[in-house]
Amino acid sequence: MKTLKILSALFIFCFALTLNAQTAEEIVDTFIENIGGNEAWSKIQSMQVTGIGRQQGVDYPFVATMMRDGRTLIDVDLQGTSFIVEAFDGENAWSMNFQTQKAEAADSEASMNYKNEASDQIPNAFFDYKKKGYKVELVGKDTWEGTEVFKLKLIKQPIMVDGVAEENVDLYYFDTENFVPIASETVVKSGPAKGATAQTVMSDYQEVDGVYIPFTVIEKLNGQVNLEMLYKEVVFNADIDESIFVMPKE
Amino acid sequence: MKKSIFAIFFSILLTPIFTDAQTSANPIKASDLFGDLRARHIGPAVMSGRINDMETHPTNARIIYAGTAGGGVWKSNDAGTTFNPIFDKYCQSIGVVTLDPNDPDNVIYVGTGETWTRNSVSIGDGLYKSTDGGATWNKLGFENSERIANIIVNPNNSNEVYMGVLGALWSDSNERGVYKSTDAGATWEKILYIDETTGAADLAMDPNNPSVLYASMWEFRRTGWSFNSGGDKSALYKSTDSGKTWNKIHNGFPAGKLGRLAIAVAPSDSNVLYTVIEAEEDTKKGLYRSNDAGNSWEQLNNDFGITVRPFYFSRIVVDPRNPDVVVKGGLSGSISRDGGKTFKNLGNMHADIHDVVFDIKDSDRMYVGTDGGVYRSWNGGTTLEIVENLPLSQFYHISVDNEEPYNVYGGLQDNGSWYGPSSAGGGVKASDWVPVGFGDGFRVLRHPTKNIIYSEMQGAENVWRYDADNKLVKTIQPLPQKGYPKLRFNWNAPMATSMHKPDRFYMGSQFVHRSEDMGDTWQIISPDLTTNDPAKQQQEDSGGLSMDNSGAENHTTIFTITESPLDENIIWVGTDDGNVQVSTNGGKSWTNTTPNITGLPANIWVYHIEASVHGKGTAYAVFDGHTKGDMKPYAYKTTDYGKTWKNIISDDVEIFARSIQEDFENEDLLFLGTEFGLYITLDGGASWSKFENNMPAVAVHHVEMHPRTNDIVMGTHGRGVIIIDDVSPLREITAEALSKKVHFFSSKTAVMKDQSGGFGNGFGAETQFVGRNAPSSAQIKYLLPKRHTFGKMTMEIQDMDGNKIVSISPGKSKGINIVNWNYTIKQPKVAKGKTFSFGGFTSPRVQAGTYKAVLTKGKDTFEHTFEVVNDKKTGLSDTAISMKHETTMKMYNMTQDLAYMVYELDAIYESVKDSNKKLASSLNDLKETLVVTTGDNYVGAAEPQLREKMADLYSKIAGSYDKPSAAELESLAVIEDRFNAAKEQFAKLKKKAKVDDLELKTFDDFVNE
Repeated sequence: MKTLKILSALFIFCFALTLNAQTAEEIVDTFIENIGGNEAWSKIQSMQVTGIGRQQGVDYPFVATMMRDGRTLIDVDLQGTSFIVEAFDGENAWSMNFQTQKAEAADSEASMNYKNEASDQIPNAFFDYKKKGYKVELVGKDTWEGTEVFKLKLIKQPIMVDGVAEENVDLYYFDTENFVPIASETVVKSGPAKGATAQTVMSDYQEVDGVYIPFTVIEKLNGQVNLEMLYKEVVFNADIDESIFVMPKE
Repeated sequence: MKKSIFAIFFSILLTPIFTDAQTSANPIKASDLFGDLRARHIGPAVMSGRINDMETHPTNARIIYAGTAGGGVWKSNDAGTTFNPIFDKYCQSIGVVTLDPNDPDNVIYVGTGETWTRNSVSIGDGLYKSTDGGATWNKLGFENSERIANIIVNPNNSNEVYMGVLGALWSDSNERGVYKSTDAGATWEKILYIDETTGAADLAMDPNNPSVLYASMWEFRRTGWSFNSGGDKSALYKSTDSGKTWNKIHNGFPAGKLGRLAIAVAPSDSNVLYTVIEAEEDTKKGLYRSNDAGNSWEQLNNDFGITVRPFYFSRIVVDPRNPDVVVKGGLSGSISRDGGKTFKNLGNMHADIHDVVFDIKDSDRMYVGTDGGVYRSWNGGTTLEIVENLPLSQFYHISVDNEEPYNVYGGLQDNGSWYGPSSAGGGVKASDWVPVGFGDGFRVLRHPTKNIIYSEMQGAENVWRYDADNKLVKTIQPLPQKGYPKLRFNWNAPMATSMHKPDRFYMGSQFVHRSEDMGDTWQIISPDLTTNDPAKQQQEDSGGLSMDNSGAENHTTIFTITESPLDENIIWVGTDDGNVQVSTNGGKSWTNTTPNITGLPANIWVYHIEASVHGKGTAYAVFDGHTKGDMKPYAYKTTDYGKTWKNIISDDVEIFARSIQEDFENEDLLFLGTEFGLYITLDGGASWSKFENNMPAVAVHHVEMHPRTNDIVMGTHGRGVIIIDDVSPLREITAEALSKKVHFFSSKTAVMKDQSGGFGNGFGAETQFVGRNAPSSAQIKYLLPKRHTFGKMTMEIQDMDGNKIVSISPGKSKGINIVNWNYTIKQPKVAKGKTFSFGGFTSPRVQAGTYKAVLTKGKDTFEHTFEVVNDKKTGLSDTAISMKHETTMKMYNMTQDLAYMVYELDAIYESVKDSNKKLASSLNDLKETLVVTTGDNYVGAAEPQLREKMADLYSKIAGSYDKPSAAELESLAVIEDRFNAAKEQFAKLKKKAKVDDLELKTFDDFVNE
């Protein structure tokens, strides 16, 4: 892949521009610019990721399909059988029950929360964050696993938890050298793990059709690896059968 | 791309299936390089630890906060069922947690420094505020406040905040009194100040009229050998103008000096106030009530439960809905339902009740903070249940043994002595911890060779020798001897064993006592090694207005003893009054080396001496001056038996230290336990780095290194036992290693352990703390000088011929990366059926041997070889292990062969189903014998077919530690026959189908897709 050459050229250019970036807004703008820019990302209407989900040393192939409007389908290959672990049709979230392998709707609150963040899928929550009513704040410089970072707070629309609206804050750690997030952190807001800290670590940023995305995404809970997602291929604006997002009826 | 549900799916559904030293040319900034070295916590939470302050949310009854004495701030989102820590990066000693009632989801104030001023209290470092529900914190100053007792936000105005600062316990300070902010904490004005000895012990606001404030001021002071509570300056004040002016409200108070006073306003009736008064006369002490907002007071009760130890218990809490229901903290806690006239004890729970909160909606529900954690009551305090996931245990000291896995031993503040395993089946749980002593626990040592445990309680009142095999207990403390004065034992009396004479046992009073027969007989082998200063031996006068001679203030005592690991005649002794004494002749003569230390304040506590393995004359001494108000760290090293000492503390260390541990191989690698966490130096103390990877800023009272595992084991005073597994990579971090693109650390031979931990015991784990286990996987460790963020980076395990065994995920962070490999190859490709074959989710292990980890980073590859061996504990011969592996792999291959056959069959079926219905039908009939084609994965499961039988047997054999049994081999033969028959049948059908031109994946492509 030609990634590295393009990358180094790109970052020398960007770094010169952004040496003095200080505000949260500037950091986010630089980040969006560094991963391809608003215009390039605006043209992307769908994104299909083929990869491996790795948990406890075991690999599960998956295909994740996401639309600009937030419709999503994550299809895991379990012993040759398609198993939908996460789907959203624009209004309702659903997934398969493991015992019956049949689709079941998520609870309505989960669907509503999903819908509220539907536009974060492509490329990320920072894209058009002002339009979405999100706010960013620079907490300060920090280190993440030994690397100097800008610590940014992203305040999203409140999330509903058991009928009560709760604040929805994520912390992002942007590498000060390249202005891309290498990790994010949030407090789990619902379910039995509520109150625990969930972390996402991003690496292997690679170029696809002029934009950059992390090809390795690691999910941790209280610092322990829960799931690694290793992208093999990313395709933009593929021909997508839009019926896949709709929850199948029996 | 978002991820949450995907991640949750895997964790929930799939997991259960699988069975003067400050100069250095170029000091290396170690804090950037700790990488994947990460602390793990093993608790225990069985007895939890001391709580200072409880706080409710004003509108959401599910949210409860606990401000702990030494373990930080914890938040519950489920009405106290479980808690999570939210303040780990900061000072863990908490005085108060307060929510802004106008924005309680977001605005939290935390005042640090516990306020129940026992001898072993930690210190705070100021005031913190979060405006995002605890996600981030800002420090608002008050670095020298040491203890903050109250923070109150005006319920009508978030900008108006009041703070009561108790202030320094051990020294004069003017950073104390009542403060007010009118800009939400940005700036503060001191609005009530008495003098540098008198702090704000309690503060209350009339919730119905926020301009009315009450403040109790307390004159108090502690030294290492005494405590004084009370004086002329202690008083209760009232302000009716938002703190502009204050007046004493003592009408009805006893005459004379006052001590610690508590104050509470009944939320449902502003005229009703309660105070608890510590007075000169015992009859005048106790609970007083005012029915006219403080204009006059009447004494109602002076029961023991109300007057006991005011410095430790003076919280009064009034039921928010009933002014006559009042709770007082105390030894047991007391509750009155008649306005304070009479009290009964709260129900059974851990002793020493510091705070109580009522649920915001239902007064039957209460949360109680004790010396042993948080308790919940559902019936107004009559019965109580402990919160089981607060690992706040406060160790004074820890030690380790050499078992596999090793055990950790230690004693706790008010919670006895214990030992527990460093790893256990399913994680380290409450039930894994074994008590080995009563009272306050301190040092606990395992006999070097026998299953004998020594433990003690406060002041060596009892020293136990416990025969753990036979459950036999004997008390063995040294007793007064003819010709010797009264023995002075520290509250936390030192003991030591010998690496040279296993039955040898030392104890320290002002003398060194040595026994050669495990404590049966004792010999005094030293003169009084302390300063023997009589001014520091007046403990019977300690306490001030309330006598408090618990033994905790015993002083001029020996505090630490250590025998050199290199020479049994070299004994080091440190005293609480500043002497570092050494004997090089087994105690015949002693030399006080403290005069040889320059820059050390006089008579401060010698907290710990570490006799080195690197030289007979080498030792480290750590001094603690905090009981004199000196919060600076002091640690020194000698290499000449104390003739000269070198300072090994740099400016990097922010607070006083108590303990040091050297590395057994690299003399420059040291670990320092401080009041605010662990520090590590790679350069012999020229520079220090704080270790923060899952390591709270908790007081580390003792640090040990396990000689076999190279683990750092810490006894913390607030977060239990914390372990950093195998720190050996730190030995190899050098400028040279950092100059390489990748530096692989030397790796230990990896043992494929077969003890799966039995059946674990997950019952109750939903709400209990469970400590994390040490990793049992093979670990590949390497150093990266810089984080890998862009482009591909991958890792493979290969055999020595370069054949790929499996792909694993490399670490990419700057510094130390640790990659775990669980010795398995990937799962077999399993034939596609209607449902899942659970046996097919099993990954087989590799054979013992030499393997390569191959790291690919951009165009570069880097290799590291390592050994994998079998676990000898299985008792299997090499032949048996080979047979097991061969059988497993035979079945693995059969499983994949069947998968490919079904793949081919499905493809052929598709191509002929319209053209040759008869053949299609035959293919279908065959398929129905190969895999299940109906049913579900639960009670609707279909009758198992060949795939299920094959995979289940494969999983059974692969998952066993043992070689395959005769029955398993017989079953395998049956399956093999059936598979062969199916293959023959399929070959015939395939021939009939005449599909040579059908495009099919190759077998290799199919199984590796």
